[in-house]
Amino acid sequence: MTGEFFFNHKRAVLFGMVASTLAIAACSDNLSGGKSCPTLCPEQSVALQDTTIEGSVFADTTVLGIPSIGNETFLMLSTHADTFDSRAIIRFDTITQTFTGASSTDSTIAEVDSATLVIPLALDDTLRKPTAPITIEAYDVDTASTDTVASILTSLFRPDRFLGSRTFAPESILDTLRLPINGDTVLNRVLNGTKLRVGLRLVTRPGFDLRVGSTSSGLSVALRFRASKDTAATPVVVTPISTTPLNQLFLSGPLSDYSIIAKGAVKGNPTLLSVGGPPSRRTFLRFNIPSRIIDSTTIVRASLLLTQAPNRFVDTKDSVRVFPLAVLSSPTVSDISSLLQFLGNAGEFGMDSLNLVPSDSGVRSFEIVGLTRVWKQQTPSVAQRAIALISGLEGQRPAQIDFYSNRAPVGLRPRLRITYVPATSFGLP
Amino acid sequence: MRSFRSRLPAIVFARAAIATLVASAGLATRAAAQAALSLQGFGFPTGQLSTRALGTGGSIGEIDPLSPINPASVALIATRMVYFQAEPEFRTISTPTGDDHTRVSRFPNVFGAVPVGGGWVISLGSSTLLDRTSTTTFSQPQFLSAGDSVTMTTKFNIEGAMNDVRVAAAWSPTDWFRLGFGLHGITGHNLVTVQQTFDDTTAFATSQQQRILSFSGTAASIGAQLIAKDFTFALSGRQGGTLTMSAEDTTLTHARVPNRFGGSITYTGLTNSYISIRTSHDDWSALGGLGSATLRGVDGWDTSIGADISGPKLGSRPLYLRAGVRDRTLPFTADANTVTEKSINTGIGTLFANGRMLSDLAVVYARRSADLNETESAWTISIGLSIRP
Repeated sequence: MTGEFFFNHKRAVLFGMVASTLAIAACSDNLSGGKSCPTLCPEQSVALQDTTIEGSVFADTTVLGIPSIGNETFLMLSTHADTFDSRAIIRFDTITQTFTGASSTDSTIAEVDSATLVIPLALDDTLRKPTAPITIEAYDVDTASTDTVASILTSLFRPDRFLGSRTFAPESILDTLRLPINGDTVLNRVLNGTKLRVGLRLVTRPGFDLRVGSTSSGLSVALRFRASKDTAATPVVVTPISTTPLNQLFLSGPLSDYSIIAKGAVKGNPTLLSVGGPPSRRTFLRFNIPSRIIDSTTIVRASLLLTQAPNRFVDTKDSVRVFPLAVLSSPTVSDISSLLQFLGNAGEFGMDSLNLVPSDSGVRSFEIVGLTRVWKQQTPSVAQRAIALISGLEGQRPAQIDFYSNRAPVGLRPRLRITYVPATSFGLP
Repeated sequence: MRSFRSRLPAIVFARAAIATLVASAGLATRAAAQAALSLQGFGFPTGQLSTRALGTGGSIGEIDPLSPINPASVALIATRMVYFQAEPEFRTISTPTGDDHTRVSRFPNVFGAVPVGGGWVISLGSSTLLDRTSTTTFSQPQFLSAGDSVTMTTKFNIEGAMNDVRVAAAWSPTDWFRLGFGLHGITGHNLVTVQQTFDDTTAFATSQQQRILSFSGTAASIGAQLIAKDFTFALSGRQGGTLTMSAEDTTLTHARVPNRFGGSITYTGLTNSYISIRTSHDDWSALGGLGSATLRGVDGWDTSIGADISGPKLGSRPLYLRAGVRDRTLPFTADANTVTEKSINTGIGTLFANGRMLSDLAVVYARRSADLNETESAWTISIGLSIRP
């Protein structure tokens, strides 16, 4: 092959040149570290600025009773000697009066056999075993009195209303517990078409907490019984339902099952911001970030620094995950309790949670930079510059995490540490 | 005269080649480099030389019609013509801590010209005056408060260039004299992106800021060529007008487009061959006011000697062999030190498609240095295609 060949095949040669041009021109980047910096790139160094703003949290408060009664994801069934006692109420206000027999025909219930409460537990509770056997007692807590008041309901946990109990060895506590109850009482309610409302009480020493499934989590306690001695007949399964308050489904629905605190409700402390606890509570913090920072710089770190105060009430060594959440409602909503119920999801805006132990103390840092970026894009009249702190186990366990509030001594108050890239005339050589 | 039918394949082929080259410009939109001696200030001066002229070290730049330097050289163009140039550079920056390697793709010159009769030729072209395209990545600790620090990695990316859009007209009243005029619009932008990432990704979020620096300015140029029996003498100059840099709708700085003057003497006693020496002076210091207070432009000479020799024919096609050396001062100081460049150039050129397409290839090895520990070397491959549609 000679050079003449290529020049006689001009298309091949030219296309070869074009292809070479394309290949060379489209070659990918090949970056490596800037070893010649800073000598040859002095204008490229943009240093970070760091400031801690005292008083940046200009409104903080803790609101008790959130989530509201009946809206707990799991029911708190706890006992801690003389310190704390919470119980679970499950309402079976409507119980079917027929069952499907062996011949697949519906028949009226005339007898009740093997009445049992099937109690699902939160999965992680099955890994958290008590050190001693626990006993769960069931009581008939139906009453004509105000039916959500803890003191009234607690008074109904008495021998003449006893429905049954069972003691469980630690190793037997798996994902579901089965508690036999008095079949005559169940039959009475079936035949009369009246409500069966069951109160559960945990009895054990030392203290222990169970998280019982609820209608809110889709894993509710169920009443199961046989209406015939024929084992081929389908068992009757009744799920919780509440008919009161009458014609107010928004309220009666959640009250299908709920927790009450029989003993040990902790009052709020104005010098503290708290999450979790009995009754469950959330904390609201509103920020005042100087516009020279939030509007004119790029924030790369925003740490809400809270000083934790030790809480030695119950479960002092059990860790609790505390989540910072964005407040989503606009400033037209001013009621803090309402604001604390319109929140973003956990992990949204890149905000991570902290695993804290109630008895610990020290400065805790919640990273909220992702949310400050959102605040930069929207004016305070559109997006509240506020966050909520909630416990991942709110309403389910009594553990409470406390932080010092703006009413505490100066050195302990909340503050915001902001690291930012200042507005510079970057790019000019 | 050849029939239209016989010319058709060449025309179609030429158009396809143009389309392919234009598409290649779109493909190669990303380029990268690092902090380098050649990238100080507003960037690297590509020299506004065609591939052909680059192969001679730039020595024939004053008489090369494809190099937008001397507007009088446009008069050499006898037919309609378009020209496109691609120029990747492979660069190594040597430092006491090691070497950085990078490559950058450039398209420094696009050009078209049309003879309009009466010895007049007009042209429109765009060439890169200063190319600032670069990417620098470096990490450094940031000390925030007592006992608090984080390692920050900064990626400083700049894309874009300051371009020279020239409308030129050249007149050739006799065989021994050519005169040309040019009006220049200095335009283009630098898209500057600063991205900062952190090793602590839980607490820190990535920061990214972008800014577009736009340039607008004017200049005028004039050039003349005197053709003697065995020599061609060429002179040209550019008078800069006001140059403005703005970000969005805000004017940031004003400066002057650098003045330039240059000349060359070329021996043309050998058929189709040129042996030339050229020098040019750029008033880069005029750009000092365009940047920050620490920016310093350096007035400098660009001198070269080289030859474009008609080589052996391969088949019926001529082959042009080129070589040259060049010495110049780069426009901006590095750490307050003047940067110089010395290069060895070589190139070839030939015709295709029945003489309708001239293709040139140049290879340049350059060493850039200043009174610093850092040095820079670069291989540049320049490919130029001129087509007579």
